[in-house]
Amino acid sequence: MNVLVLLAAILFLLMTWIGGKKGIRSFIALFLNFGVIIVTLFFMNVPDMNSVIITLIACVAISCINLFFINEVNRKTKTAFLSTIITTVILVIFITIITYKAMIQGFGEEETEEMGMFSFYIGIDFVKLAVSVIIMSTIGAITDAAMAISSPMREMHYHHPNISRKELFHFGLSIGRDILGTSTNTLFFAFFGGYLALLIWFKDLSYSLGAIVNSKIFSSEMITICCSAIGVTAVIPVTSWITAYFLVKNNEKS
Amino acid sequence: MKSIKNLYQEMTFRHKLFYIILAFCFIGSLIFVHNNYSFYNSPIAEVIKTQTIETTEMVDQNNNEDALSTQQIIAVLKNGEEKGREIHLTNEFSQSKALDNKFEAGNELFIKIDEHIEAGANLTGSIEGVKRDKYLVMIAWVFIFVLLAVGRKQGLLSVISLVVNAVILSFALDLYIHNSDLSLILICSVGIVLFTVISLLLVNGLNEKTYAAIIATLLGTFSSLLITYLALLVTGEHGLRYEELQFITRPYKTVFMAGLFIGSLGAVMDVAITMSSSIFGLYEKDNNISVKALIQSGMEIGKDIMGTMTNILFFAYVSGSIPTLILYFKNASPFGYTLSLNLSLELARALAGGIGIVLTIPIGLYTTIFFVNRKRARQ
Repeated sequence: MNVLVLLAAILFLLMTWIGGKKGIRSFIALFLNFGVIIVTLFFMNVPDMNSVIITLIACVAISCINLFFINEVNRKTKTAFLSTIITTVILVIFITIITYKAMIQGFGEEETEEMGMFSFYIGIDFVKLAVSVIIMSTIGAITDAAMAISSPMREMHYHHPNISRKELFHFGLSIGRDILGTSTNTLFFAFFGGYLALLIWFKDLSYSLGAIVNSKIFSSEMITICCSAIGVTAVIPVTSWITAYFLVKNNEKS
Repeated sequence: MKSIKNLYQEMTFRHKLFYIILAFCFIGSLIFVHNNYSFYNSPIAEVIKTQTIETTEMVDQNNNEDALSTQQIIAVLKNGEEKGREIHLTNEFSQSKALDNKFEAGNELFIKIDEHIEAGANLTGSIEGVKRDKYLVMIAWVFIFVLLAVGRKQGLLSVISLVVNAVILSFALDLYIHNSDLSLILICSVGIVLFTVISLLLVNGLNEKTYAAIIATLLGTFSSLLITYLALLVTGEHGLRYEELQFITRPYKTVFMAGLFIGSLGAVMDVAITMSSSIFGLYEKDNNISVKALIQSGMEIGKDIMGTMTNILFFAYVSGSIPTLILYFKNASPFGYTLSLNLSLELARALAGGIGIVLTIPIGLYTTIFFVNRKRARQ
């Protein structure tokens, strides 16, 4: 039996047992997201397509799945969705600049040893691909943070309908600060775990500090970690502001 | 202007000191990375002029169209005996830039100067690599400033927690490399206890919520590890393509298991702290709340976070494979083969992490209720 099938089955059972219907939906969402990645890959394979734009479209689809499918379409999820998209677009600009400047696209020389038989002249812009990878690694965390902020803000507004926009915004920020530490930790450890082999490699081959810092692989991983942490942090004020704006505006009308 | 002055007056001495030290570190590190050429042994040159001399269209064996260009570069040496002299370099780059780069004025490169140059002739050399340290320092500062601006004290604590954890990890790996008889799993287990205690104390402070979360995290991580280990044992690891694991100098299975273990830790901690804070929050609001009501609310919260948390890990792991997947596809590798070869380990990590997350929901819930009951009994 395949390990992945067994692990997926265990995960499915646990999610159903603990989460009931919502657990099943969460499990299906994982598969839908996997599907989105596969479709994205097909489009990225076309040389004339801009992979950053394809990734942004994929991010819209992924946010829809994570927010509207797992939860449902309501004010909370709508504001979380809008915040996710705005934060991602801001982040793209920033990531593009740093990726272009630091030249971290493609593969490091350490990675290519086993890929000798491949042609690397494939007509796909690897700079754009590198930008896409960083955005994609962060999108899950950004939607999570957006949802975690907009949901209690909605509750707050529900219990205190007369709260001012500014107070609501500050409430959102304070929620954001509470989740900031754990969200960044989630990402840090995920990346640490993924890069463990690389870190042992650097130490075993006794790379000098200068060689590590300037190597393509290490830089690109550091940049990914920093950009994703910047993403989950930036989504906090964006979500607080957007949720406060929409909730209090609707209130004034009625 | 007035508000800035007010803000300045409102700040306490410790705050002022902190900002001054921060500004000092910022400026100091920027000056350092822009002038650290003498610290490197290999010659560094800054590009001052580039000219693309020819571009040829090419088609590879799989009919992928690309273009190869040759670039002539004039650069100035920044260190070593020949400091200040101009050097002529030639660079070849492709349109896709998977392995090469197009250089522009201002880029700094590690180079190798050709030996045996006739007196009076221009220096020539070859390009060895790109100097990236200043970009790394810059992004690290953007990261620190964004975290401080939004998170204030919590932001500072997360930066500290990252640095401390990175140092512990580096130390643990040193220990592993110099003592091969110590097992990596053992070192990682000790490391995980340290990571958990330090991160949660930094994020949440010294209180019962944190204690409950620490215990729940450890129970959750170790039980998910046990399940994953059993699953690997039962299936004989059929379907895992270890050959894809890169950078391997050590027994690959242990490295993979240890990475999996650490990778899910952050997410498990996140779930544990969410469960314990919210249940303690409910208890503090109403001291007489029944255990049954706590379990019910806890399960609701757990359902809410389960989906998004598993997705965080999924995207963090799978996205990194995108360039490799594209490379395989473009080299006419079959679809199924490419996916199973390049994604099996990432998917296993994401699924094992997901199992850890979901398991931690009931574990966190009951651990917290245990602490709540203990607190109740004391009062």
